[in-house]
Amino acid sequence: MAMTTASVSKRHPSPSAGATAKRRRPQRGPRREGLAGYIFLSPWLLGLMGITAAPMLISLYLSFTDYGVLTGIGEAEWVGLDNYKRMLTEDPAYWHSVIVTIKFALISVPLKLSAALAVAMLLNRDRIGIGLYRGLFYLPSLLGGSVGLAIVWVNIFNREGAFNAVLDIFGLPTRPWINEPGTALWTLIVLAIWQFGSPMVIFLAGLKQIPGELYEAASVDGAGKMRKFFHVTIPMLSPVIFFNLVMEIIKAFEGFTGAFVVSGGTGGPVDSTLMYTLYLYIKAFTDFEMGYASAMAWIFLVTLGIITVLLFNSGKFWVHYSDEGDG
Amino acid sequence: MLLGTSSTASSRADRAPRTGLRRTLLCAALAATVALPLAVTGCGNDDSSDPDKPVELTVMWWGGEKRAGLTEEVLDLYTQKHPDVTFKKTWQSYQGYYEKLATLIAGNSAPDIFQIDDNYLTEYATKGVTLDLGEYKDSGKLDVSTFPESLWKYGEVKGKLSALALAENTQCLVYNKTALENAGQPEPKTGQSWEEHIAWAKAAGEATGLPGTMDPSADYKAFWLWLRDQGKDLYKGDELGFTADDVTAWFELWKGARDSGATPTSDVIHEGNSSSVTTQLVVTGKALTSWVWCNQLPELAKNTKDALGAIAYPGDPSGQWARASMYFAGSKSTKHKDTVIDVLNFVVNDPEAGEILGTERGLPSNLDIRKKIADTVTDANMKASIEIENELGKTFGDPPAVPIKGHSNVRSELVKAAEKVQFGQASPAKAAEEYIAAAKAAINK
Repeated sequence: MAMTTASVSKRHPSPSAGATAKRRRPQRGPRREGLAGYIFLSPWLLGLMGITAAPMLISLYLSFTDYGVLTGIGEAEWVGLDNYKRMLTEDPAYWHSVIVTIKFALISVPLKLSAALAVAMLLNRDRIGIGLYRGLFYLPSLLGGSVGLAIVWVNIFNREGAFNAVLDIFGLPTRPWINEPGTALWTLIVLAIWQFGSPMVIFLAGLKQIPGELYEAASVDGAGKMRKFFHVTIPMLSPVIFFNLVMEIIKAFEGFTGAFVVSGGTGGPVDSTLMYTLYLYIKAFTDFEMGYASAMAWIFLVTLGIITVLLFNSGKFWVHYSDEGDG
Repeated sequence: MLLGTSSTASSRADRAPRTGLRRTLLCAALAATVALPLAVTGCGNDDSSDPDKPVELTVMWWGGEKRAGLTEEVLDLYTQKHPDVTFKKTWQSYQGYYEKLATLIAGNSAPDIFQIDDNYLTEYATKGVTLDLGEYKDSGKLDVSTFPESLWKYGEVKGKLSALALAENTQCLVYNKTALENAGQPEPKTGQSWEEHIAWAKAAGEATGLPGTMDPSADYKAFWLWLRDQGKDLYKGDELGFTADDVTAWFELWKGARDSGATPTSDVIHEGNSSSVTTQLVVTGKALTSWVWCNQLPELAKNTKDALGAIAYPGDPSGQWARASMYFAGSKSTKHKDTVIDVLNFVVNDPEAGEILGTERGLPSNLDIRKKIADTVTDANMKASIEIENELGKTFGDPPAVPIKGHSNVRSELVKAAEKVQFGQASPAKAAEEYIAAAKAAINK
């Protein structure tokens, strides 16, 4: 205790001892609280530093080297911007993976959000057993990015899979969905859309927040269902839509498990499921180009950051916060 | 409000751990620059000084349950004979194996002994990960005198013996005997040319109603043998041994086969390309043949009711060679070099160990053990695979060097290029040109 006091007064030399004595007492509380705060935070802080921040910085360093996993980091040679240059100008597979990822995100995110919103609206009423339905619709998301689910997916969309069996019943043409470059990515998109549970729950919460009077007022003004949806629901829900959009875009860009399992880790057939993160993984762990993969990771991080900032800026034009005053 | 507090908190907080961060970085650098060379150089004949000190070695391999059982049995046998040596055994499937191994090595926790194959041997050996076995071979501690010379030499990378061949293996074209018999079709024969094989496949396919032969244009080992049949090779020194014209001709050959209906459709071919031993097309009944390794015959046979036969790949069978199906390599950073060598020696040369391992990894490297096993084996399919390999062994040609660095990428790029042609996304010539560029980039990286 004495030591603490000593160090405190050392760090904050006061003009007069009397003043220090007077000030010390009220200061001690918050300071000790702060210390306790840090102690309680320390598991997280240590985790952040040790597991996130330090490896990130090391990966930044590695992205300027030819580090190849098998040799020590110390032996990696500094290659400057070579990795970045090679990636952006000489590697067709890189750009291919960028295109695949953007295609995946652009198609899956709007569809997933639409599905989530549609189901949320269906479930946003008071009926007997609605809780059960909500639970059931949320279930696929609980299974999340699991490997098991992706394996099930492979078996559903195989040539002999359940999906083709259903098509066959209706006399529709069947295809080997997973094994054709034209359709393989679509099976992943469907997989992503199917897992609409978490945005759905958030939408549901958002829908519950919209005051009933608004709909009543709209009805009085003679608005039909569509009008109410576009002029009441959507604007009132826009902060929630915005939140879901940001989260889902980031998730879509990070999609890995499905692509890895469906393609057996290759991104095939013919690179049609070569998502950015999968290509990064292949570069790092099968081709032993960890430096290159680190550079990819950093470009990825920066790009995602830019996309998020752009989204936030676009929010000004379409996201409507009801507490901003103008109703 | 909330955002404000948390950001000041974190900006104040990271002042303290920053020294911690610096230390982490320092440690990483230290680990890389100091610990590794230390581990590499600072462990000579350590365990010979104190032979009674208990030693635990980590051993890692890929494979199925059967291999795991047999390998564990052999290692336990070693422990029985040397109670002071115990093993920590880890095994998993092939997929993901090299990723894990590489990560372990990067983290300075390389297994003392690990399984490896020629796809990655050069990569690991040239990066100084594997223990140089040369001196131990010379001193007789590692006895390869009963091995075929070409087999143990297939573990040499740039003149250094980098890994010990556990078993010998070669390419086998496995075909569905039952289906051919039922349709009254002749079986394919060793020594047929590639064109003859395709013609056979077309006729057999029409008669049986099954696609005649799996399209191996994405399969590097088929491409390799085809190249050797043309008097070329996959690699020449540190360069590719073929040109875009060769690749074009190879793709054209199989495009013709597909167009004539001798092979399955593209999506089934893709399935065959990406499947494991147990789901090869010859097993799943989607083609009459599959292009595999001979030691896989018993495993294939287990998964189908039909009788299977096996022959050499088309072309002159002397293009095939005594390939080491798998090796055991020692880690350069092991603290127990002598024990590692002794275990390696035990696994391949001890008669009891040889009997346990059988032909699961291929024909035993040690010819004495191989003979003994061939005489006593009862499993019909295993017997067949031994006979075929022995038969093929008579015509083995000179082995090529172990594939060069970047080989795994050269392989995966071939799959990509071949599938582009199969799915009609590129002409053979265009795909070939792209493939050459990608393969060159892979080996020169």
